[in-house]
Amino acid sequence: MAGEENTLTAREKELAKGFEAAKDNLRKSDKQVGMVMDLNKCIGCQLCSMACKTLWTNMEGREYMWWNKVNTMPGKGSPKDWEKMGGGYKVKFGGKVMEPIRGKHPTRKEFGDMWTYNWNDVITNKAGEVHLQAKNPDGTTPDWGMNWDEDQATGKYPNSFYFYLPRICNHCAYPACLDACPRNAIYKREEDGAVVIDQDRCKGYRFCLEACPYKVIYFNFIKDVSMKCIFCYPRLEQKVPNACARQCTGRVRWVGFVDDPKSLIYKLVKVWKVALPLHSEYGTQPNVFYIPPLAPPRIGTDGKLDSSKPRIPREYLRFLFGPEVDASLDIMNTELQKVKNGGKSELMEILIAREWTHMFGPYTVDPATLERKPDKKGAYSREDLTSLLENKKI
Amino acid sequence: MEKIICKKTSKSNGELLDSDNAFWKSCAKVKVETTGTPLANQPSPYIKGVYDEKKIGAVKELSVFSVHNTENIFFYFEWSSSNPNREIGDINVFPDGLGVLFPFGAIDQTQIKEMGSKEYPTNSWYWRPDFKEKPKNQVAHGLSTSTYTKKSSVQSHSSWNNKAWRLVMSRPLKVSGKDEETVEFKPGGTIGIGFAVWEGNNGERGGVKAFSKEWRELVLEG
Repeated sequence: MAGEENTLTAREKELAKGFEAAKDNLRKSDKQVGMVMDLNKCIGCQLCSMACKTLWTNMEGREYMWWNKVNTMPGKGSPKDWEKMGGGYKVKFGGKVMEPIRGKHPTRKEFGDMWTYNWNDVITNKAGEVHLQAKNPDGTTPDWGMNWDEDQATGKYPNSFYFYLPRICNHCAYPACLDACPRNAIYKREEDGAVVIDQDRCKGYRFCLEACPYKVIYFNFIKDVSMKCIFCYPRLEQKVPNACARQCTGRVRWVGFVDDPKSLIYKLVKVWKVALPLHSEYGTQPNVFYIPPLAPPRIGTDGKLDSSKPRIPREYLRFLFGPEVDASLDIMNTELQKVKNGGKSELMEILIAREWTHMFGPYTVDPATLERKPDKKGAYSREDLTSLLENKKI
Repeated sequence: MEKIICKKTSKSNGELLDSDNAFWKSCAKVKVETTGTPLANQPSPYIKGVYDEKKIGAVKELSVFSVHNTENIFFYFEWSSSNPNREIGDINVFPDGLGVLFPFGAIDQTQIKEMGSKEYPTNSWYWRPDFKEKPKNQVAHGLSTSTYTKKSSVQSHSSWNNKAWRLVMSRPLKVSGKDEETVEFKPGGTIGIGFAVWEGNNGERGGVKAFSKEWRELVLEG
């Protein structure tokens, strides 16, 4: 557009100024929440995904959505091959010019199928007569899913490898989705910087799905609106941590304010500089950060440990987390060694996370202690369950 | 300003709310030229940055005819669309669409290119094949502000054949109630009118569309 600047009419210039100001305003927030995920601890159990699913995406039109998912890496992830779909920005002149990059819409199929198994047939028939099969609701056989690459390793045994990459919306400081929306329906919440889509303003035009380079926005075909991870802001408002973080059995996730020097997130991202954003070259300035995987050492041809090169090719980790991954892994190795030698390390203490509740910054409230009226529709109370069990109805 | 005459007819609502009725075939339609929306009017830096203005606005011309039977007003539209997009078949599929725009106030004060302003808003009727012949009624106070009203009394009937859409939109001349802010049509009176067409196959939705750059004057026979 720079070349066209001179050909714009006075009114068009005025409009451009107004549009820019509107976006600046929507991008503003007083504070910024963020999350750090330790890939050395993630075991790919998908408890985070299920916590999110049962809380946010088991409703009409959201069934196929996984606002939180865990992908096996290296892999195509979900939507399939999302890293090749474009979007985000070319950042120029130190961030003064953010040149948007055209993105591609993921298809419904690329997000993955929703299949069921013929459990009943297998159980009610003679052993071996019916085999377990997965089928989509339309009778077709599923060929992609949220973690279709599950546990598929890359490389040659005994030095093959894979690791898990949990993904949510990155609640970027410069969200491509926010810029893309012609309805100004996407904004950062002033109080915490979470990126949300105003469901009343959204008209389902799907420019956001095109522009988001992480492809974490979904389209609700029934409601004709776009939807995405909301960083569990209704829980944060009650000082309860995000469902994915609180449910995580591996103590993988820290939640807090990225800009608060007292927060553990701040320490991991800005002080120790070990937590890195995924594909920072996309230019959106994510607020979800990852502790890169160290991985076990290689085994040499003589069967002994071979530390001459890493099991996970450094090139691949640089592709995901940028050149900063070298320093991050070096720092972690140094600190690990320190502890192995009997010393103490603040970084290792944080990463071990002995006190579970310390991982969530100011969000320490147990949701079970909240006064609330649970939605009874489709849900059992403890009493219901006891009586059903006693009467052997389930 | 070019005029479009809304003729008075004694035909019934049933006859008229039928896009394939012989009546519409025989009437002398007005040709309206439509053109792609300028990038300068796109409130999204993303659209401004990556879309090619020359490729916006696949539909170049609309045929329009309008009548009223003192009870309801009817608009008949015909336009070329070689492959109809009837529904949102996938995330990358966009339905075709048509919109009619009316200024609530004075024509010369209301910007058609910007769908009005705070002081001079616009009313529009928005048809899409997946709305199941229940077009939406909208109010806009400028670019990026169009909002569906709770209620819409607009009805439609549409068909696609011979590589063209045929569409009738109809509504009582007067509609009241706070849930449907909309314009009123008076036999013998005039009102501004504009048009927009979305070609789904060209990825058109929202402000990425073809539109009539100037208001026409709709004159209702008394």
